[in-house]
Order: sequence, then C-alpha cells, then structure tokens
Amino acid sequence: MKEIEELKLPDDIRYTDDHEWAKITGDTVLVGVSDYAQDQMGDVVFVELPAIGDTFAKGDEFGTLESVKAVSELYMPMSGEVIAVNTALADSPELINQQPYATWIVEIKPSDPSEYGQLHDAASYLQLLKG
Amino acid sequence: MIASPSPAACCDLGLMAYPAAHALQVELAARRRQGALGHDLFLCVEHPPVYTLGRHGSRAHLGEGEDFLRERGIAVMVVERGGEITYHGPGQLVVYPILDLRRRRLGLRDYVYLLEELMLRLAADCGIAARRDPRNHGVWVGDSKLGSIGIAIRHGVAFHGLALNVDPDLEPFSWINPCGLTGIGMTSLAREGGHDCTMARLKALLPRHLADLFAVDLHFLGRDRLLAGHLSVPNQP
Repeated sequence: MKEIEELKLPDDIRYTDDHEWAKITGDTVLVGVSDYAQDQMGDVVFVELPAIGDTFAKGDEFGTLESVKAVSELYMPMSGEVIAVNTALADSPELINQQPYATWIVEIKPSDPSEYGQLHDAASYLQLLKG
Repeated sequence: MIASPSPAACCDLGLMAYPAAHALQVELAARRRQGALGHDLFLCVEHPPVYTLGRHGSRAHLGEGEDFLRERGIAVMVVERGGEITYHGPGQLVVYPILDLRRRRLGLRDYVYLLEELMLRLAADCGIAARRDPRNHGVWVGDSKLGSIGIAIRHGVAFHGLALNVDPDLEPFSWINPCGLTGIGMTSLAREGGHDCTMARLKALLPRHLADLFAVDLHFLGRDRLLAGHLSVPNQP
C-alpha cells in the first residue's frame, strides 16, 4: 500500500471525489482512475465499459472496476457522450494498476465543458486524500 | 486516530435466504448513501445453502457443474461483489457491514484489513491461530481457508462483507473451486478443534470486536424493527 506522499498526482488533470481523473485533449475528455484508486482496489481483474454513444450526466455510473476483493462503480466526472472506450482493458485490465494515468477508460465529448473547472485540481485532491 | 465512537447499529437477521438478504443490503446501502440511514449498520446472518458467484467470476470454477449442484438443491446466484464462487450455508457466520467508507475516510485496503482482523479475533476467541495470506484475501489455517471476503462499493458505501466458517457442512465446498482457487481446502473453527465455537457464542462476541475495530458505539436493532423500516438508533448523549 502506498503512503499518500508516494501517490502520483499529475497536475495537468482534474480529479473527482470518487477518485476518477479527467484530462482535456482538444475538445474531448479522457477519463480514468487515480493512483489512489488503483492502489486501494489492488489487482484489477475486470473493467466493465459502457457502449460508444451512451450519454451520461455528471456523477452517473458508467462502468465498474473489479478486483479480487471488491467491485467498485465508476462515475462520470463530467456530463457527456462516450465517443470511445479503451478496448485494451478487455484483455489487459492490469494496465489500470500499471499505468493509472496513461490508461484512460472512456473518452467523452462533454456537453458542458465548464464542469471541468468544478473538479479537484491536484492540490485540492491531495487535501481530500489527506482528510 | 479516531476520536469519539460514532453510533452504529447491529442487527441479527438469523437465518435468511440469500436473495432476501441481498435485496435488503442493496436497499440499506442506497439509504445509507441518501442519508435516510444516518449511521453504519452491521447485518449478521446465516444463509440456507447457496452458491454465489462474483459478476465476472468464472463458471469454470463451478467444479462439478451447475446441473450437479442444482440436483442437490443448491442454486447458483450471480452477485455484484468482487471475487469468485463461494458457498454459503448454515453454520457459517456472515456479516454484511453497510458502511460509509467515504464518511469514515476509510480506504478499501484498510477496510479489508479490518474485516480480516475481525475474523482473526473471533478465531482467537475459539483458540484458533488463523492468519492472513498475501496470495489471497480472507483468513486461513495452514493452507485451508477459514473465512472469505467479498465487497461491493456504490458511491463510497460498502456492502457485502465476510463469511466465517464456524461449523458448516464443508462438503458443498468440495463440489466447487472456492474463490477460483484449485487445490485448497476449506476449514471451519469446529474442524480445527476450536473450543466453544457455537454460532450463539460467536454472535455474542461479535459486537465487542465490531465496536473496537470500527470505533463505534453499537446499538442493537431487532430484526422485526429493521424489516419494518425502523432504522434509527439513539443519538449520542
């Protein structure tokens, strides 16, 4: 288990209370889970993905992460439409553990880009983790 | 680390069929999230015989096969917890904490550790030195599994939980590959020669360990009151 000081928290992405991250790439947003989330889950053995074209509101469940000890739901950091899912996760769910920030889960086209600014920045997310 | 104990409730559901207990926990977890259930709640239950399979658990671990199991009158249910197939039956102490991990600022790893600790302490109460195993969650005696863990989390609220073998019929475990592991045995407190390892005694010991490990001021909620929707416990003075 990592100490909070050991967690990688890049400052070019934003974070949710539920430990997802969001990264702006042009006019789309990539979504994954934080180093803290993968560390807590332990070895991820399955990632349940939404369908391309699904639309969700901010906070909606869009999938699940399953490890040997728990199933945890994934929630949308922003409202929008799923335009791509990371199909590599079907065969290699361990990518979530190995490279939590290089491994996006879904790519969305946000319906309200201003929601990005409401997410935690790295400093604010760190405060959340420290309690 | 934790200041004053928070109020929480414990309810002994007695013997309850898996589907009914499952529906109850899902509902209670939703109420905990919405705030209608204002405190954490520990459900304690025994199930009639049933096999449960994590949602993406492999049916390859059904071992003897689903038809064989059905012929013996034991259904296989797919549920949303993590983990592979397991068996529940009378003589097994099942604890389902409906616990707001986020409010407690309790990470999943620490939570799993506490559930394992709870089972280790109950085993110790019966004179059994069980241990953790880094290869697989749960608690073990030698290479045999004594208790299992499987958790689901929705919006920071955990449900499902642990199953500790007190004195169940262990044969139904031999018809599957429990937890997806081949070549391991299942054991129970009774088989390991535990003293006074009756369900009644373990249920009586449980609240003290819950109070210690989870830093809660535990109130008892009757099954009938719970099922009637009366969820409140007295507030702290």
